[in-house]
Amino acid sequence: MKPKTTILLADDHAVLRAGLRLLLSQEPHLQVVGEAESGIETLRLAEELQPDLVLLDISMPGLNGLEAIGMLRKRAPKARILILTMHDDVHYLRQALQNGASGYVLKKAADVELLSAIQAVIQGEIYVHSSMTRNLLEDILPPSQSTDLEQWDLLSEREKEVLRLVAYGYTAQEIADQLGLSVKTIETYRARGMEKLGLSSRAALVRFALSKGIISAE
Amino acid sequence: MKIPPALQAFLRRFWDIAGGVSVRSKILGIVLGLVLLLGLGITVQVRQALTRTMAAQLAEQSVSVARDLAARSTDLILLNDLFALHRLLQETKANNQNVAYAFLLDAQGQVLASTYGESFPTDLLTANPIEPTDHHRTLILATNQGYVWDTAVPILQGQVGVARVGLSDALLRSTLATITNQLLLTTALVSLIGVTAATFLTWILTRPILDLAQAAQVVAKGNLTQRVKRWANDEIGLLATAFNQMVSELEKADEIRREREVLRRQLLEKVIVTQEDERKRIARELHDSTSQTLTSLIMGLKVMEGSCADLQTQLQARELRQIAIQTLEEVHDLAMQLRPRLLDDLGLQAALERLVKEWQVRHRIAIDLMYHVTQERLPDVVETALYRIIQEALTNVARHAQARNVSVLIEQRGDELVAVVEDDGIGFDISKITIGDGAQPHLGLAGMQERAALLGGTITIESEVGRGTSIYIQLPIPKAVEDETENYDFARR
Repeated sequence: MKPKTTILLADDHAVLRAGLRLLLSQEPHLQVVGEAESGIETLRLAEELQPDLVLLDISMPGLNGLEAIGMLRKRAPKARILILTMHDDVHYLRQALQNGASGYVLKKAADVELLSAIQAVIQGEIYVHSSMTRNLLEDILPPSQSTDLEQWDLLSEREKEVLRLVAYGYTAQEIADQLGLSVKTIETYRARGMEKLGLSSRAALVRFALSKGIISAE
Repeated sequence: MKIPPALQAFLRRFWDIAGGVSVRSKILGIVLGLVLLLGLGITVQVRQALTRTMAAQLAEQSVSVARDLAARSTDLILLNDLFALHRLLQETKANNQNVAYAFLLDAQGQVLASTYGESFPTDLLTANPIEPTDHHRTLILATNQGYVWDTAVPILQGQVGVARVGLSDALLRSTLATITNQLLLTTALVSLIGVTAATFLTWILTRPILDLAQAAQVVAKGNLTQRVKRWANDEIGLLATAFNQMVSELEKADEIRREREVLRRQLLEKVIVTQEDERKRIARELHDSTSQTLTSLIMGLKVMEGSCADLQTQLQARELRQIAIQTLEEVHDLAMQLRPRLLDDLGLQAALERLVKEWQVRHRIAIDLMYHVTQERLPDVVETALYRIIQEALTNVARHAQARNVSVLIEQRGDELVAVVEDDGIGFDISKITIGDGAQPHLGLAGMQERAALLGGTITIESEVGRGTSIYIQLPIPKAVEDETENYDFARR
């Protein structure tokens, strides 16, 4: 018989651990070998038990899950780490994967996805909760930046001046005062400059200006 | 009462001039005007009276001298003693300074003797003809040496001759000139004294007034410690005392207001902090306890579903699991709305990215977020305040703006944070929205303002009907913050 996959449960909620244990006990090839309530305890038990898989929660007292990943990788190098969390934000996902986690499952989908996620991770794949993969891809592929510096050079000096100040976050009134022009004129310059650059918002203008070195980073 | 327009115009012009000059000039003008008017009036009056009296005297003198001459010369003429007549004439002239000339005519009108000597002016002979029956006749002759009162007296009804005497007004004129000069000099002297006195008086009057004006200006600029000195016990002194009392009261009221403001700020800060803490606590509770329990329940139901042989029970378990999953999602959303865990764990940028993404999905409005702050984490209070302000701003955009594009920009400018929430919606007339108190205060905007003010920041709104709205948030970045937040801990409990 194939040896059972050993699992360490790391979650500070006893109720949840009980649920997990119940769920996992249904699978004959899985065996829960330990339960940890905190980050520190997880590290200790992982080192001691050297499990095949650590089912890790992010929010834990003391050392939190994300920080624990890196240390776990060192102390139990063969253990795969599967994040099981409430957090459905891509920021957590990104950080978890960066730190060395192999999978990311949301607790709300644990009933359906957990077993297949464990399966995938054990086989050396990366598993990410289905609804979050798109976010991750959006994150990897930055929005296309079509505007280039040549278009900037086509602007008049006044337009450049106004847009630079707009990018620095000054109010129309402040810009008007600074350049000795009326607010209406400032708005006209701004609208014309933005149109020439094909930009639709101040945020886009700042992104453009930063990438082309038109405004300094500080 | 109706004032004719011409008078009105005159009064207005008078007031333009009189009202335009200083009090000093007014008082000086009054004093100088009075003295000069009085001096000149008296001078004119005195001159007139003197002239009248002296002219009458001259006329009388002229008659008496002429009659005297006539009486004393009768015998001498009859004796034809020309030498004595000559002496008599010289004597007459010497005795009276006013006598300009005297001469005697015989019955034929020939000059017997005169004070002129050889060069007798012949036109004088015919200047004052007299009838022999007249007692005397006096005429005022205009000569090149002034007026002369010429009197002719017939001697013995003209049978012997005529005595003529002319009294000149030269003395009278010189007396008048002297008196006039003296009067004018006196007037000038009195004017000088008057001006000096008036200058001193106006100095006394205007100094406390100027002091008061200056103090009032200082107070107007907000310095309520200013007091004025009470110079005298007059009405102006009274005013100074009243002024000082008023400023003291103002100072007291200002102090109370300031204390209240501080209290209000503290209270507000406490309310905001408490609210935020409470939200954080509830969100955490939902997240950590309720959600975990629900998850456990879901997993239990899943196991039950798998292990149950009865199809009916299996279906019921699945149904229950679906309900539990839905509840879990609701609880999760609720926690998120109360206080995103992200804000504490990963910071403002992550929380805002999340907020913006959800907002875009919910309202179907394109939104672009640009977060450009070099400092990795900002102080907790700053992050919370900025998150809430932007959340409120976006709520307003969704509710009122009818925008198609929204831009959220957060960047560092020197030692301050600048955030701009901008939309291309319908905009509004800023003058019609009251931010603070007013008939219909905009509570959302007021709340944003208060949050920013608590951190020493400001909020500026620019909007125009049809041209969208821009909300600018400026917050100072507190110093010595980087050390504190360099190692952010995820589990701040």
